Amino acid sequence: MGNQNREDRILSSLLESRDNNEHVIDVPKDRVYILITNIVTFLIGILIVLLIWQGFSVLYNEYIGSSLISFPTPLEAFDRLFELLSGSNMFGLTIYDHVFASLKRWTIGYLISAVIGVLTGLILGYCTRLYSVGIIPVHILQMIPGLAWIPIAMLIFGLGDESAIFIIAMTAMAPIIINVSSGIRKAPPVIMRVANMVGSSRLSIFSNILIPYASLDIINGLRIGLANGWRVLIAAEMVVGVAVGLGFSISQATYVVDYVSAFVCIMVICAIGLFVEKVVFVSIEKYIRRKLGLEGGA
Amino acid sequence: MMCILEAKNVYKVYLDQKKTKGRLVLNNVSLKVDEGEFICLIGPSGCGKTTMLNLMAGFETPTRGEILYRGNQIKKPSWERGVVFQEYSLLPWMNVIENVKYGLDGKKLSDKEKDQIAIDCLTMVGLSEFAEQRPNLLSGGMKQRVAIARTLAMDPDIMLMDEPFSSLDEQTRKRLDNEVYDIWLKKQKTVIFVTHSVDEALLLGTRIVMFSQSPGEIIKEWKITIDHSKRDLATSEFTLLKQEILSSLQTCSCADNYTNNSQKIINIEG
Repeated sequence: MGNQNREDRILSSLLESRDNNEHVIDVPKDRVYILITNIVTFLIGILIVLLIWQGFSVLYNEYIGSSLISFPTPLEAFDRLFELLSGSNMFGLTIYDHVFASLKRWTIGYLISAVIGVLTGLILGYCTRLYSVGIIPVHILQMIPGLAWIPIAMLIFGLGDESAIFIIAMTAMAPIIINVSSGIRKAPPVIMRVANMVGSSRLSIFSNILIPYASLDIINGLRIGLANGWRVLIAAEMVVGVAVGLGFSISQATYVVDYVSAFVCIMVICAIGLFVEKVVFVSIEKYIRRKLGLEGGA
Repeated sequence: MMCILEAKNVYKVYLDQKKTKGRLVLNNVSLKVDEGEFICLIGPSGCGKTTMLNLMAGFETPTRGEILYRGNQIKKPSWERGVVFQEYSLLPWMNVIENVKYGLDGKKLSDKEKDQIAIDCLTMVGLSEFAEQRPNLLSGGMKQRVAIARTLAMDPDIMLMDEPFSSLDEQTRKRLDNEVYDIWLKKQKTVIFVTHSVDEALLLGTRIVMFSQSPGEIIKEWKITIDHSKRDLATSEFTLLKQEILSSLQTCSCADNYTNNSQKIINIEG
């Protein structure tokens, strides 16, 4: 609908300027329109989730549920969320402490795996001979579910933060390596020939050719790794004996039958994930696309 | 005349993808190139012209035989033998002038000197006003001109051009042919130019070397001593020469293709 109107308006102004024998005119970029469309689309998506949640909780509480504990509705959860945001206690700490603790583990674990993963990916992608051998352990690593690392984490680090960080790092690494190395291998042969003919140094080949060609894949790998890390973090916190964190809070909430708080934690987890995905990574990707000359003008 | 490039009894075998079949691509090819020559390699498609060029550039090595550049065996690519590729080979994230400057990446020059060389080379191909544009905004012909400017910037000893204009329209191709000829005249470079257009070869070459259908062998050579500016394809000597080249192309080129064509005609008539 919106597009139709827009085209129609452009046509009218084109027809007006037709006397000057023009058939091309500049169209002002309708930033506000695009922004509003994006926001509305996003809100509708969220609304659908909330509606399903609400519908199910009503259905459950009225007809299915036989127990004394009711299924939390979105409204209850939001109430509790605001309560917690204003500083009230959840398992001995504020929600900010829990979020901060989780974010800290996530950041450290992820940074470790990003550094190792990107470097390994670059090397594997560059050395064709090494790749065919080196990618096999990476594929094996990818097949190991995050929580399967628990015994190994316990063995090496015992209970606590380090175990959680280790599990995150191991889970995030494989997709990063795989994407980075396959991105590096995508540089067209003719460009590699140009580089060899010109006599580029290895450093210059990486910075001028390989990394730019791989940059979208690198971002993609980092993105998948980040999401993997986040998901496994929450799960790991439930089991490796940390006393603070969103995952820990969810498991505690289950024990003490405080399902509303559990739902709040899930909401916070989703909000953080959405923010990283929709705001951080989308803008990085846009920036790279423009920089690469894949999108937009000079 | 100094011999700049010499291929001695070169054979090249390619393996197919499954590595179950080996195919002879070049069969005992010998060729001597003198300094200042403009050599056009012609022949049916798939006859090994591009392979020959890749060997001379150093991207690949001969299976048997050797190729000498100024008396030394070619082991790897070098800026001394600048290649203009058939496919577009610019870096999309660099603007035009950066792409040309990339040709100087292996040389130890100050940024200022590099800028100056790049601008000079862009001016030579008539693109100085597009210096700040990204390649994705350029037409195919302009992209190839930037690629030529990049090769010029390297200041190679010999220019190897692999059907550089085959994907362009007739008009653009003619204009770029003239530009290449001008560069050859001004810079006194040696050029080896792969093409499948007989007209292009007749207009540009001082020597035309014809390859046979695969396996590639050199089957004929023509020397053209007439000055480039006096060449007119409409004159009788050129039409005769063109006839001769075309007929040798036809007799050498794939017999199976030929029969396929005649079969088609019969089908249409029936």
